Parts: sequence; structure tokens; C-alpha cells
Amino acid sequence: MKPLDPRLLRYARGARTVLGLGGLFGLLRTLAVITWCWCIAQALALLVLPVLGGMGGAAGRVAESASPADALPALVMVALLALLVRSGASWAMDALAAHGAVQVKAQLRSAALDAIDSRSPDSLSSSADASGATVLGRGLDALDGYFSGYLPQLILTFCATPLLVLAVLLADPVSGLVVIIVFPVIPVFMVLIGLATRGVQQKQWDQLQHLSRSFLDVVEGLTTLKIFRREERQVQRIARETAEYRSRTMQVLRVTFLSGFVLDLAGTFSIALVAVTVGTRLVEGEFSLALGLFVLLLLPEAFIPIRAVGTAFHASTEGLAAAEQVFEIIEGEGDAGPAVSGVGAGPGAHGAASPAARAAEPADAAARPGGARARAIEFDEVCVQRGEQTIGPVSFAVSAGEIIALAGPSGTGKSTLVSALLGFVTPAAGELRRPEQLAWSGQRPGLLQGSVADNVTLGDEQADPRLMERSLDAVGLGDISADRMLGAQGTGLSGGQAQRVAIARALYRTWRTDAAALVLDEPSSALDSESEARIAEVLRAEADAGRAVLIVSHRQALIDRADRVVRIGEAGV
Amino acid sequence: MTSAQITTVLRRAVPPTRRSMLGTTLGVLADLCVVGLLALSMWLIVRSGEQPPILHLTFAIVGVRAFAIGRAAFRYAERLASHDAALAQLAVLRSSTFESLIPRVPGAIESHRRGDVLTAFVDDVDQLQDEPLRVRQPFIVSMIVVLLSVAALALISPLAALILALALLIAGACAVWLSSRISATSDRALAQARADLSDALLERFSAAEVLTAFGALEVQRARIAEAEGRLAEAQSTRVRSAGLTAALLSGASGVASVLVLLALAPSLSTAGGLSAPLFAAAVIVPAAVFEVFAQVPGALVARRTVLASARRVAELTEAPLPPEVPSHEFLTEHPVSLDFDADPGAPLLSARELSVRHPGAAATAVSGVSFDVRAGETLVITGESGAGKSTLALALVRLLEYAGSYRIRGVEVRDLPETEVRGIVGLIEQQPHLFDADLRQNLKFARERASDAELIEVLDRVGLGEWVRARGGLDDRVGERGALVSGGQAQRIALARAILADFPVVILDEPTAGVDRELADRLLIDLLGAVPKDRAVVLITHTELPAEVPASTLAL
Repeated sequence: MKPLDPRLLRYARGARTVLGLGGLFGLLRTLAVITWCWCIAQALALLVLPVLGGMGGAAGRVAESASPADALPALVMVALLALLVRSGASWAMDALAAHGAVQVKAQLRSAALDAIDSRSPDSLSSSADASGATVLGRGLDALDGYFSGYLPQLILTFCATPLLVLAVLLADPVSGLVVIIVFPVIPVFMVLIGLATRGVQQKQWDQLQHLSRSFLDVVEGLTTLKIFRREERQVQRIARETAEYRSRTMQVLRVTFLSGFVLDLAGTFSIALVAVTVGTRLVEGEFSLALGLFVLLLLPEAFIPIRAVGTAFHASTEGLAAAEQVFEIIEGEGDAGPAVSGVGAGPGAHGAASPAARAAEPADAAARPGGARARAIEFDEVCVQRGEQTIGPVSFAVSAGEIIALAGPSGTGKSTLVSALLGFVTPAAGELRRPEQLAWSGQRPGLLQGSVADNVTLGDEQADPRLMERSLDAVGLGDISADRMLGAQGTGLSGGQAQRVAIARALYRTWRTDAAALVLDEPSSALDSESEARIAEVLRAEADAGRAVLIVSHRQALIDRADRVVRIGEAGV
Repeated sequence: MTSAQITTVLRRAVPPTRRSMLGTTLGVLADLCVVGLLALSMWLIVRSGEQPPILHLTFAIVGVRAFAIGRAAFRYAERLASHDAALAQLAVLRSSTFESLIPRVPGAIESHRRGDVLTAFVDDVDQLQDEPLRVRQPFIVSMIVVLLSVAALALISPLAALILALALLIAGACAVWLSSRISATSDRALAQARADLSDALLERFSAAEVLTAFGALEVQRARIAEAEGRLAEAQSTRVRSAGLTAALLSGASGVASVLVLLALAPSLSTAGGLSAPLFAAAVIVPAAVFEVFAQVPGALVARRTVLASARRVAELTEAPLPPEVPSHEFLTEHPVSLDFDADPGAPLLSARELSVRHPGAAATAVSGVSFDVRAGETLVITGESGAGKSTLALALVRLLEYAGSYRIRGVEVRDLPETEVRGIVGLIEQQPHLFDADLRQNLKFARERASDAELIEVLDRVGLGEWVRARGGLDDRVGERGALVSGGQAQRIALARAILADFPVVILDEPTAGVDRELADRLLIDLLGAVPKDRAVVLITHTELPAEVPASTLAL
């Protein structure tokens, strides 16, 4: 995996800021580190040299490059200043990275939501609900580790390490050479170990994930296990599976941890090498003590960033994998369906013509004087492609004032036809007419967090409270308080109540926009016969008021109340 | 949650001392090498400046190399040892936490939140693993190393040790203060903001069609942006303080070095005083010690996350069982064992004035229900969704406590062991759980010794024969939470399971939701039409029954 995905910079401007400013602070921090080490080395040398001289040492070049004795206060002041700058720059880098993470997450999320908003809702299959929301929600939090743990160290590796190595090289070519020889060993070993363990490591990671999932699976299925009296046995199974996983994992870890070992060893061993070579040269009087101390103090700093990059490796792959999933959403099949902005959207939004206009021309009732009653909805040899399956050709019409039931076994594409009617999918062939104003309720209630009233008047900025109360009354929910707050996805209502609120929402829309057609997909699947009968009466009243009513249903009672039944997926459509 | 309950939860995650000892010891050795390497190489260089015969330096040269290798080798061994201990403990953690969860599912969790609660629970249990690896070990190791280093420094110069100790204390106190300040302000806000964002996002997906059709995409975008804003604010507060801790420690380490340098400089002398090499080592030691000490704030942060997880786990596993959940204690001294053939004339199940209540619910879900079910009979219980039918079903298989009387073969169910009740009365849940395994395993746990032929036969009975053959037989996987099969197929797999388990009484909770009408009718006729003489069925449904099914009906 690439250390930095260029798409991150493209879709999230915040990432560019982090890289740009981060590099600047990284440079500042590096200069402060060099200054700090220089000052401390000089101060030490300055204090120590007279003592060494007294011991009979400090001959040859040992006393070279040292500051005069009266420089101590200045050195200490500069050292403290450098310390301040170092701490400040580190803090700024951390804060920048963290702030960047928050910003990048927001930008990626918004880019992904833009992409989704411009896409047909039909392209979001229901099984992807949870995964899409997880990717954009908790999934993106994996970028926190990437930005706070990995990216700053990556920046430092690229802007600080060369500078530090250069400083060492200038102060002492011999030590510099040691570093230049040792340093490339790190990436080479990392790559070698990476290659050797790649397959195994991935497998082990997968196993770990599998084990977690399998624990979740058992916990979620605990009720089922208890019903079949299998719960006690699972306790041993969990322990056994985990123990097996442990022995396999430990074999892999022995190799995996080698990369950390190499990193550690390269860092510590070059310190030892430099200390020993500098030491022997000092004994011979061939090198300056001040420079030797400087090199020794500076050396560990050169290895810190690349070590941190190594440790943050997992955080980085997780973060990039999370970003990758978001990129998939952003770049995903953009032409999966026509973009739709509000089918018969709110009262003020008549102008929002459906882009699927060819497929769904508003049927102009006045222009069709031929029929005794105007055809509000008309399917003319319509075919719809759904994955591999082609639905249709289907032909039928719903005229104002009648109730048509669309029936047929599940999986034959009734709901897909409704999607086509709403403009969420473009028919592959044929012609489809629908009125400009159309109200609809789907198979799933699709309720949202907020009050019952908010749900019923969804999409209407100037809600009409009287109309809202009336629609709740119509579906038999007059006793529910309209102010009652619902949880996420409408939790807090029973299945039957939720379904009736969704129908009330469609009724409110019908009345508010004087819709010519009302389309209900499985409106009574969670209702008892009494409520179902009530809904049937409401639909009849709407038909009598001159609207075209189309229902999709499995329920015989509801089908029996329709004026005509259109059967899909059977001979004679 | 009391601290004792949280301790119980945490203890499951922590390996026994004998097992964690090795990791801790190796960790201490590795970190001592860090301090030793820096101090000794400093000493070596300055000592070389005295230009003694090279032989006098051999000991230091070997020492420096030993520390360098030791640091890497001990760290490697430590990581292996502590991961081994943690993984060994994972088995204990998961199995014992699962065991403590058993009596509480499904009763003790609100039904509509059950999925989310359990997912979060599993995440929290995984989080507990950090207690040994990221909290205890780094904390213990760095404390030991810091103490040893300060003590060693005191041998060179008590003054330097004092300066270092004070710097550590002040920096440590600031770190603790910063960390507790975050915990007080933002932990709860962070969790809430995160949950709100994920709710708003989930709705964007699950209600996509509704939002589009009603022109409410913008409204939802605004809601997502608002939740995002609050989350960003909470996260920023948190990281600002974390960054401050790191900067503080790096600053304190430098200040300690400078102070030691200035404080010891006067005592530096050729005769009797502090020797130059030791002086240099004393100046560098604070930097190394602070590097080791830097693990402590990280451990404190990890500790907070772990504690929050432990608290949530304890809320589920350690809180006293609500009275609505049956406990294993029996009213009578010895639980009655059921003599199934005792009185063939008596009803199989009989309920009188039965009421059931879901824990945490304001009102009883059902009350005053009475019915008899005899062998060979079918009882249909109807009512709208939300009328408490599923709650009643849970009580009938003894997953919830009941008030009133409920007897199997004339024996009060309260006096029977839970497992015995569930040996007689089986339940097909409204949303049966399919395990992420192949079809065979999903069926076989209902009847261990079933042959493949038997499994296929049962699948044929529930109308899945063709489907299974088309999918490549019993080895076909059903996916996570049965993602690879449709709702109707999942229902039928569950039916097959119940047939295999061969319960004398089966309760079907909305068995035909998600199955189309024609098949539902056929399935019901098949299931209910041929109830054997010694068997009975209780059907819970909100739809009407096909007329062919002979049944008595009870409306809730």
C-alpha cells in the first residue's frame, strides 16, 4: 500500500494543509533540535575540558571547536530558546495533524455525500445501509490514527532525517558514513521481512477479524442458542477457538516483530558504533570532544521518525483502507441511475423537473380527452433492468378515481416498477407516464429521528399542523401525540404504528400538493386486519376524490378492495 | 456501576501475575538498556577525552554494545511474551464474559436496541484487552525504570536525582491533570456526538428513497453536518490536550537536563569532586528517563477508554438481574423434573391470567391471558405488531419471567429448570439468527446427529430443496447475519431447524413475514395441517390464516 494516496489530497483539501504546514513545522522542529544538541554539546565541552586538561588529557585535537569559557550563559539561553521552539513546533504539528484529521474526515464525508445525493436512491441497496453508514461514520475514524500517529512521522522522516544526517556528516564525516551505511539497511530489511510475512500477516489479520466476528456472531445469536439449549457449549467453543488462534498467531508474530527488532537494532547499534569510533579517536587525540558530543546527542533523533513510522504502520493501513472505501463511494458507478431531486417535492418545488423526464413525462390530463377518465399513471411496454433480471415488458394504466392493485409473487419486480415510477430507475424500454405531483410510501416506513409531526410533514418547510393532524387521524393514529419524539430510524413505535405514520406522511403529501396519484408499496404488511380495513377505506376515499391510487400488496384483503388487479410475473400481463 | 463490579469485569482481561511477569521483566530490562546506553556512551566519550590507555575503556565499549543489542533483543522478547499472555487471556476474557451474558439475553436488553447493544458490547469486550497491554504493563514498567534510574543517578549526585525527580513529578502531575480535565469534559460528549453522527448517517442510507422522494436530502445533510460539527469540537478539545502533554514532557526533559548541567557544574573538579564523565552522564540521563516516562500519559489515556468500556460491559453483565428475567434459583427446594407421560389427558400447555412484562418497559406487554393447548392442536394468537406478541413468546420458552400461572403438563413452569422447559417448548423467532457458517452447520446444531439426507429432506419440506441444490448444497455459506439469503429464506431455514429439533410444542412468531402469500399459505397448511397427535403448535401472527388450517384463535 502506498504511504500516501494522492486521492486523499485531491478530495480533501485539509490533507494538503497538513502536509504543507506540517513540513514547515517539521523543518522548524529539526532546526531547533540541531541547535539544542549543539548548545548542550558546547556547554558540556566547555565545562569538562578544563577538568580533562587537569587530568592530563585533552591533548591533540580534543579541545578543537569548543566555545570560550564565558559563552556558557549565552549557550544556556539559546538552548532553552531552542527547547521552547522544539516543544512548540511538536505541539503545533500534533495539533495540526489532529485538526487536519477532523477536517479531512469532514471533507471526505461531504464529498461522498455529494456523490450519493447526486445518485439515485435505488443504487443504494438495502443491504449496504449499515456498511455505507459505517464507512462514513466510525470507519473514517481510522484516519485519526493515520493523521496523528503516522503522517507527522512520515513528514519528519522526509524533511528531518536528511537534515539531521547532513548535520552529522558535516560535524563528523566518519559518523555520518556510519549512519549513511546503517540507514538504508532499515528499509531493505523492512521490505525483506515485509515480503516474507506479507501473505502470513494478511492471513493472520484476517483470522483476527474473523475471530472477532465469530464472537459477535455467537453473542448476537445467543437467543437462538438458548432456544436450542446450545449456549453452554459455546463457552468452550469460544475458549478453544481463541486458544487455537493464539498458537497460530504467535508463530506469525515471531516473524512480524522482527521488523521492529531491526528498527530498534539499527537505531541503538549505530549509537554504539558512533560512540565507540568517536571514543577511540578521542583517545588518539584525533577528534574534537565538542563535535563528538554533538554527534552523539543528535544521532538518536535521526532514527526516531522512521521508528515511529514503523510502529504506526497498522494505523496507516487501516486509515488508508478506510479512505479507500470512501473513494469507492465517491468514484463509484456514477451513472447507476438518474439523479433525482424530489419527486413532486415540497409545495414550493414544482419546478424541480425530474431529469428522467423522457421516462416519466407528466401525463397531461387535459390533452387526453379520449378516456372517460384521465390516465394519471401509464406503463406502456415498460422494461426495467434490475441487475441480471429484466422486468417486463409491462403495460397498464391507472386512471383518476380508481384503485389498481399490483400483485404477484415476491421477487418479480413490483417494487422495481414503483422505483421506475418514482424516477429512481430509468426504464430500459417503453414509455412511462406519471403525474407531476405524486405521493408515495415505500415498503419500509423510512421514519427519521424527530417528532411524529416532523416525520409526517417531511420535506414541507411551511408545515400545516391541521393537515398533519388530519392525516394521522385518517390512519387511526389520532391518539398518538404529534410531538412524540422518535429515536434514530423512527424507533419507539411498533411496526404497525411506524407503517401507519408512513402512510400518514404520504396522505399529507397528497393533500398538501393535491397530488394526482397515490402509490403505496405493501402498506399493510405489519397491520392487523382491522387497521388494514381502515387503510383500504382511506384509499377508497382518495380514489373517490379523483386521484389515481396504485397499491402493491401481498395481502388478499387489500387486493380484494381494488378495482382491478394487475398481476406481474405471471402469464397475461 | 460500583467500582467492585468494574473491577470484576477488568479482572477477566488481566492475565495472572505469573503469566504477565515475564513480559514486565523483559520490558524493564529493555527500558533500562535505553537509559544505560545513553548514559554509558556519554560517559565513554568524555572519558576518552581524558585519553587513558584504550584498555581502560574496553569495559565501557563492550557495555555500550551490549546495551545496544540488549535494548532491541529485550524489546523483541517482551513484545512476544506480553502478546502471548494477552492472547492467552483473550480466551478467558471472551468465554467468561459470554458466560456472564447468558442469563441476560434476550430479557435484559430492550428489544429494539438489542442488535446495537450487542455489537457495542463485543467492541467493548475487545477494548478490555488494552488493560494489560496498553495500561498496566507500560505503567508498571516505566515506573520501575524511572525509579531505578533516579536511584542510580542519586549514587552519582543526589542533587541531580532530586532535580530529575522534581521535574518528573511536576510533568507527571500536569499530564494527569490534563488527562483528567479531558475525561471530565469530553468523554461523554464525544460518545454522544459519535452516536448522533452515525444515527444521522444511517438514516441517510436506510431512508434514502424517502428522503429523495420527499425532497428532504438537504434537511438530512444539515442534520449530518450539525452532528459532525459537535463531534469535531469534542475531538479537537481532546487532541489539543493530548498534544500539550507530549510538548510538556519534551520541554520538561530539556529543562531538567539544563538544570542538572548548571547545578553540577560547580562541583566538577579534578580531585575528589564529580568526575567529568559522570557529570556528562548525569546531564544526559533526564532525556532518557523522560523518554521512558512518556509511556505513562499514553497509558492514562488508554486507561480512560478501557474504564469506559468496562463500565458499559458491567452495566450489562454485572448489574443485578431485573425481576422480569428468570433466575436460576427455584422457589421449591428441588426443581421438579417433568414426567412427560404422566397425564396424557391434561393440556400440554395451559396459561391462566398470564401477564408478561419486558424489563424497562413502562407497562406489561400482555396481561390476563388464558389458554389451553392440547396435543394435536394449533392455537393462533393474533394482534397488531407491537401488541406484545413477541414478548409473550419469550415468556412461553422461559426467556422472560411471567406472572399468573403457566403450566406444562400440569407442572408450573416456574418450578422447572429453564433448559427442561426449552426441551419441550421451542420457538422460531421473528428474526431468527443465522450463524456465519455453512447451511449444514446452521441446521445441525438443532439436531447433532442428522445426516445430510435428513437435512435435505427437511429443507424440501420447507420449500428450500430446489434453492439449496441450485446454490451448491449444504456447504453453501449463509453470510454474516445471513446476508446471503433473503428474509423469507432465513425464516424457512429457521423452520427447518425447528423441525429438526423436534420440539413437542413449537411457537412460531410471525413465521411468514417476508414470505409471499402463496408460499406462506402452503407452508402454514403443511406445518399446521399435520400436527402429530402428540405435538402442538402455537402460531403468533398479525395476518389472517388460510381457511384450511384448523385452529382455535386467541386475540390479544
